[in-house]
Amino acid sequence: MPVQITELTFLEQLARRFALTVPEHLGVDASRSDIRKALDKWGGKGIVKADVMVGGRGKAGAVKVVNDVQEAMHEMKRLSAIEIKGKQARTSYLTQFIPARMQIYTAITYDSRFLGPSLTVSLEGGVDIESVKAENIKTIPVNVFQGLDAYQASGILTELGLQKNLISVMSRTLVSFWDMFISTGMRMAEVNPWRISDDNNKPYACDFKAIFDESNFKMKNEDLLLPEYPETVSDFEEEMAKWSASSHQGQAHVSELGGTSVLPILFGGGASTIITETLEIAGGSPIFLSDFGGNPPYERMYGTVERCFNYHLAKAKLLLILGGKANNTMVDVTFQAIADALVKYVETHGKIDLPVIIGRGGPRMVPGFIIMREALEALRLPYVIFGPDTPLTLVAEYAAKLAQFVAKEKDGVQ
Amino acid sequence: MKAKQLSGILKKGDRVAVSNITGREAQNVSVKSQIYAGNIVGGWALGKGDQKIEVPGQQPIPVFGTCEELYNKLPKNKRPNKVVIYSPPEAVYGEVKKALQFGAKELQTIFVITEHVSIEVTSKIKSLCDQAGVDVIGCNTLGVINTHDHVRVGAVGGDAPEESFVPGSAAIISNSGNMVNTIATYMLAAGIGTCFGISTGKDLLILTQLVEFLKLIAGNAKVKLAVLYVEPGGLYEKIAVEWMKKNKFNKPVLVYVAGSLMEGRNISLGHAGAVVEGRETSATGKMKMFDEYFGVEPFNPVENYNKPEYVEKLKRGIRVTTLHHLSQAALTIFNTLGWKKDFPIRQELKLNPWFINYRRLNDKLPAAIFLRPGVIPEPYASQFKRQMKETIGLAAARRDMRNASFASSMDDGEAHIYGYPVTKLMEKQSFGAALILYWTGELPRHDFEARLVEMALVASLTNGPGTISAQGAKLSASAGNNPNTAMIATLAATGATHGGNGAKAVRFLIENFKDTSLVDPYEPGDAVSAEKIAKAAARKFKKIKDAAKEAGADYERIPCVGHPVYNREPVNYDPREQAIYRFIAKAGKHNVFLDFYHELVKDFCVIGVSGKVWAVNVDAAIACIWLAICWPLLMEKKITLKRVEDCAFLGFALGRAAGGAGEFLDHQDFGSPMDMRIPPGECHILTQSRKLE
Repeated sequence: MPVQITELTFLEQLARRFALTVPEHLGVDASRSDIRKALDKWGGKGIVKADVMVGGRGKAGAVKVVNDVQEAMHEMKRLSAIEIKGKQARTSYLTQFIPARMQIYTAITYDSRFLGPSLTVSLEGGVDIESVKAENIKTIPVNVFQGLDAYQASGILTELGLQKNLISVMSRTLVSFWDMFISTGMRMAEVNPWRISDDNNKPYACDFKAIFDESNFKMKNEDLLLPEYPETVSDFEEEMAKWSASSHQGQAHVSELGGTSVLPILFGGGASTIITETLEIAGGSPIFLSDFGGNPPYERMYGTVERCFNYHLAKAKLLLILGGKANNTMVDVTFQAIADALVKYVETHGKIDLPVIIGRGGPRMVPGFIIMREALEALRLPYVIFGPDTPLTLVAEYAAKLAQFVAKEKDGVQ
Repeated sequence: MKAKQLSGILKKGDRVAVSNITGREAQNVSVKSQIYAGNIVGGWALGKGDQKIEVPGQQPIPVFGTCEELYNKLPKNKRPNKVVIYSPPEAVYGEVKKALQFGAKELQTIFVITEHVSIEVTSKIKSLCDQAGVDVIGCNTLGVINTHDHVRVGAVGGDAPEESFVPGSAAIISNSGNMVNTIATYMLAAGIGTCFGISTGKDLLILTQLVEFLKLIAGNAKVKLAVLYVEPGGLYEKIAVEWMKKNKFNKPVLVYVAGSLMEGRNISLGHAGAVVEGRETSATGKMKMFDEYFGVEPFNPVENYNKPEYVEKLKRGIRVTTLHHLSQAALTIFNTLGWKKDFPIRQELKLNPWFINYRRLNDKLPAAIFLRPGVIPEPYASQFKRQMKETIGLAAARRDMRNASFASSMDDGEAHIYGYPVTKLMEKQSFGAALILYWTGELPRHDFEARLVEMALVASLTNGPGTISAQGAKLSASAGNNPNTAMIATLAATGATHGGNGAKAVRFLIENFKDTSLVDPYEPGDAVSAEKIAKAAARKFKKIKDAAKEAGADYERIPCVGHPVYNREPVNYDPREQAIYRFIAKAGKHNVFLDFYHELVKDFCVIGVSGKVWAVNVDAAIACIWLAICWPLLMEKKITLKRVEDCAFLGFALGRAAGGAGEFLDHQDFGSPMDMRIPPGECHILTQSRKLE
């Protein structure tokens, strides 16, 4: 999954560095007296929020306005353990309540229409942007070399009808917002809403989310401390993510699906998507989605498959090795690595008994098939091998049916 | 877009340069591309100047140290107008800048193959290329192929582009590089070839949008059909559909949209750009957009589209929900619109297993999922044949066998041989069949094989009390040993010279048959003539023998021909071998190996290697029995060559060990102690006595 941050990380590590005005806040460990002092300072009102890596926390009840210290402490405790849409909160925090009559939505992202960065603004902030009418949202391209300047920002704000006395301060804020976006290697940053304070007309960033581009070195330069969120990734996904990031030679991408039957070793970004969808529709219950294409060298492929086997082979009902007709992935190299990892697994963990379905085409496919067949014969595993003349979706459907049969057989239904 | 025609992206005569050409992938792909297209004029790699990349059958590709050097040193007519970037992600920005700087006069298109380029750099590349008036495809494109012009950049089509890319009337535009190749193969099944195959890349930004390609397709006379593979992420399809509607796009579009499985779930797909940001970028959003544009439900393989109401709709196209329906849907469009296919349908899309071994599932699978081996199409069938012959038998992967066995197991308290319960084998199989299972891992394919193995065992029991193996048993009995020791003594008195000829015969037979098309040794067919193979072997042996004699050197004998007893007739036979031969004939079969031996001894006599027709001895017959049993397993690489050789020897040794037991029992009952001792007087003294001081 991409590297994302939420409001709390923004408050703690980024906002002040880029001169963005934010509400004051206290962490979950704040003492009773600190909370009391803060609430007194803020006019007696605060907001408790769960720090959870999922959208729509307001609607889900993970954002709560509090009016006294007792209520604040109670909500901070409650929301620090809340679960929303299957995601567990990491912690909770208390922020200053900013009284405001106006809320603004802003986002900077890379836009497929302009093939570069863009700024999106709406004066109807604080709600789901998809619910705002299209004519009330403006998006402008930003020159990636020149960046966003205050004149451009003021132009879009004027066009949207922002009152004149706010245009200057909001334009400067948007320039700082851009500076943060471009200097930290983000691929998307959203503030929703900026609350324009009734007291001083300053825009306060009152909620935030961002996604970083892991391919951008700037992200690593920032030395950001990225908090770990519970239940966002499994041990397997975490280990595979590290392994994937350790090299750019070949893909080592997995995403767990919670299935229990087919262990899919798949090749190609497109093929892996299509095969996984087909397996799910046909009842193959794939354990994860994988993409191991991109012509991985032997060591890379061996390490990838070894990890998949160690985590999942014992429970799998069927091993599926499937990809389209490769353009540049060497089938013999990848299959040798899979065969060796399979043999090694048997040596370490003992006998296995599950059918293996293979479908592949591409460079050095013939020696690749011979290697795999010899290994499967030596391990005495049942197998069916298809060439590139059989569509991969038909192979996936067949694998799903066979896996269902094996599962029933193992459960003693047959 | 600078290109005004589809061929503006890539055509015959374009001159291609490759960055980082000495990298693992760039070099491999460039050599294959050069063989296919011959359009690479050079490459550059930092610090690798003055190298050359060898291309079989062609001039090598020159390598320069920098992009600048390449543009400065290549003659004007070879200066590249297409640049392919294979450099690592951190170098891509610099490479593009240099290519734009030094190729300013000629450069038309840059293809960025590299993946993991940051989105910021990607957008900067687009900005720079726009300013320079240069088209850019990627990042993370696999490349482009122009089939009619027989040219490509990147790896589209792998090392055999002609296999998938036959000139035709479909243009494939795909978010997945692999799908370009795969879809081209599916189109062949509809009798439709490919005009252009374009991998757009599927990073967060696709630098040449779908709509730009469709504009070029609209003006291309060769393209009748656009086939799209689409993933979630980006508004490219929305822009394209709006343009097609507005401009009444004149070609049908066949589309497959993948990636709906990620909706409502926290999972990521393989491509970096498959990211949903808003409804219109989701797979279902894109499906809806296309379906509305086509005005027809997604393709249904059982629907009859040959109706007037479909004509106008299919002129716009249709979406398929299953990838392998692309072929049938394309054919449906052609048929409904009254178009001719590009060529006859080449192959049907169906489950065609090349290799199957269900093992324990063999008897359990319901008919609906029980597949039978299909036909391996060319050129793969010939490639397999060639590869299989290069290495005979299984090259087994080694493992720790200390506490492991494939051959036997104790499952639920019962002994099993290769998965079969021993009690079931006792009830249903003969000793011969069980032995074949234990030694080869498979039950016999023919009933008569078990009987042949038993005949070989009987033939091996004895060749009289004077054989050295029988003498071993008798010596042991005479010394007062137990029966096991006597049997060990029998086996200890067999070896390479006595009993080992069978293994040599197997090697000799394989040497003569490995290059034939032999599949079934019992029904070899007309293509495999024992007579012809024997003639060639006899002549070869005579040549070796004559040369050795002339040089006064020794030579290797043919194993298992001739016999010390059966050698007096003009034509000699070993009666035990004949019993086996007659049994096979009675079963209505041949053993091509035994036939070969008979022909060989006849040829030896004809060409003067021997004065009489030598007997083919029983060791040859045993070797022929075991080789015929093992031949299919050997060709399918299910067993090792060493195992087959050993089976031939063990087929003799097992019988002879039992024979030794017979000699032991006989000698123990009737012999007197130490009667095998030879009195000193009967022993010849060959060395004079010497004094030790």
